[in-house]
Amino acid sequence: MRATIPILAFAAVCSVPLFATSYYLYLTELAMINIIIAAGLNLLSGNCGLISLCNASFMAAGAYGTVLLVNQGGISWFAAMPAAAFLTFLLGAVVGFPARRLSGLYLALVTLGFLELVQIAIEESPDFTGGIRGLKVARPELFGIPFHSETALYLLVVALAAVAVFAAWNIQNSRFGRAFDAVRQSPFAAQAVGIPVARVKLLAFAINAAFAGCAGGIFAIVAGFIDPTEFGVLESLKHITFIVVGGLGSVVGSIIGAVLLTALPEALRGTQEYSELIYGLILLGSLMFMPRGLVGLLNKLPAWKLSERTRKEPAHGAP
Amino acid sequence: MILPLPPPWKDLKRVELSRSGLSCRNRLGRYPASSRHCGKIPDKRRLVFRDDNGSAQTPPAVAKMSWQVASQLALSGLSIGSIYALVGLALVLPYKASGVVNFAQGEIVTLGAYAGLILANFGLPYLALVPITLLLAAAAGALIERVVIRRMMGGPEFTLVIGTFAIGIVIKALIRLHWQDNTFTLDAPFIGAPFRLGPLRLNPAYLVFVASMAVIAGALSAFFFYTKFGKAMRATALDAVAARLMGIETGSVFASAWALAAMLGALVGLLLAPVIGINPDMGQLILKGLVAAVIGGFSSLGGAVAGGILLGLLETYAGAFWGATFKNLVPFAVLILILMARPEGLAGTSSARRV
Repeated sequence: MRATIPILAFAAVCSVPLFATSYYLYLTELAMINIIIAAGLNLLSGNCGLISLCNASFMAAGAYGTVLLVNQGGISWFAAMPAAAFLTFLLGAVVGFPARRLSGLYLALVTLGFLELVQIAIEESPDFTGGIRGLKVARPELFGIPFHSETALYLLVVALAAVAVFAAWNIQNSRFGRAFDAVRQSPFAAQAVGIPVARVKLLAFAINAAFAGCAGGIFAIVAGFIDPTEFGVLESLKHITFIVVGGLGSVVGSIIGAVLLTALPEALRGTQEYSELIYGLILLGSLMFMPRGLVGLLNKLPAWKLSERTRKEPAHGAP
Repeated sequence: MILPLPPPWKDLKRVELSRSGLSCRNRLGRYPASSRHCGKIPDKRRLVFRDDNGSAQTPPAVAKMSWQVASQLALSGLSIGSIYALVGLALVLPYKASGVVNFAQGEIVTLGAYAGLILANFGLPYLALVPITLLLAAAAGALIERVVIRRMMGGPEFTLVIGTFAIGIVIKALIRLHWQDNTFTLDAPFIGAPFRLGPLRLNPAYLVFVASMAVIAGALSAFFFYTKFGKAMRATALDAVAARLMGIETGSVFASAWALAAMLGALVGLLLAPVIGINPDMGQLILKGLVAAVIGGFSSLGGAVAGGILLGLLETYAGAFWGATFKNLVPFAVLILILMARPEGLAGTSSARRV
């Protein structure tokens, strides 16, 4: 019974190609990619309480890794994307390494520094990455058959997003997810009850990086073109906006935030110039007036009984 | 460094030397989605570099060490380091008072430059518009503290970091809406031809940078040690609750720390505007300020000044001897190394934390 709503939602999303134009199909694909990113980031920031400003770099690592493995390594996208996601998982562990000791502000600084390093690395090695000119990405092939059909690509993206949401949900409700929550609420108490805090933080970073890397690998084929400016600090903040607006620490929140904020620029068509301003205002407004996100608001309504653990304590007044 | 637009790029608003050679942006400030435009841009090594006075320069080659070169580099390192130090001070001040790092400080630098631009358009000379801009900046800083920051203070650090970032996004977006990505110039009396002093070439603008930094660092330390309000600020930085119990109005201390920091930021904007031009990306300077503050341990004003100058020197020498790529890597490498090895800064001491 609990699976009814997710299955209905999945079926509804799968039926989009029946009536949508290719532009709306593309938008929905972007929304799915953003759901993957938000689901991963929410584990790190929402559950484990760590700040990461380099989520876009993990996405870049996944995107460039996939494209390079396909172009230079000559392997299929279906092998390259998981491989790149795994490499990004390792990269996340490397970035998480300083996070074992640092928290809050200093972690924000380290991840900001890492983001800039990745940008410089991409821009300064044009032989591999195309530098600021970017890279063209070919559509993947499956058993020698090119994925020309829009619908097939769309269904692939939707399937991966569903897998990611399922995985995030299960991680959140596993031993690890509970350890993440414990580390956020009080690292000292977590340590005292026997949770290896340093290792848990490392794992949170690595898992988040794997989600973002996977999203990057898909983004590369959906967009057909990648360049370093798409993976700057603004992109990272956009990812954070997804989870802040949706609801920190909630998988449903990640989905709501990612879908709403992907649809937002479309709803405001004709006011493209305002999009950055609106993003900033939404982020600031949510932080100030809606610290538990839309899911927090929904949970206040008596009719809504989301059977999900959201953040228990109010965002203000936390240690 | 801004280049005049050659004919094929007329449709682009701006061609600039980014940290890695040339980049081009369209009207919305994005890089073109295709490589169409960028493909036409020649290799960066064949470009004519122009210095601040518009005369052509040979591309900076790898320097050979001599006493003259070393001291010339030390001078430019010191001057750019002074700017970093000022930004570092503007970051450390509110952090000490209210425990919040203002990631929007870079945008306050930009805001200061644009405020100067507006006032200059009213016909005000540079020396008259500086004090007015500083007053406006102080008001803006206090306003940001009052309206946004105070609501978030005491909340989780996540909210504070992302919240100040969001303020920065809003400010930058507002500036972009009105002025787009154009680069504007601002006239200042200290823009002139470099003069010779013995074997060294001195650029008057750089001397002004160093002098402003020295004056401000001196004034700040005098303020904190000799005035009553400065002492109140120090007490609040040590322990806000205890300070309030002693009858210090911590609210006004927070607001004035933010006002002071905004003034410093706006001053940096006004100092840099005549030299590098005014554009919405000036705020990227905040990264250097953050590194300066981290080197100094993020809680000592003297440390931020020393960190800024150290960073300026490191960057200049690295750029001269190992090239531009290395120069761009230096700040972030320093940042990550210090945070991993000595998070309390080079000079700082680690303090006990309450569990």
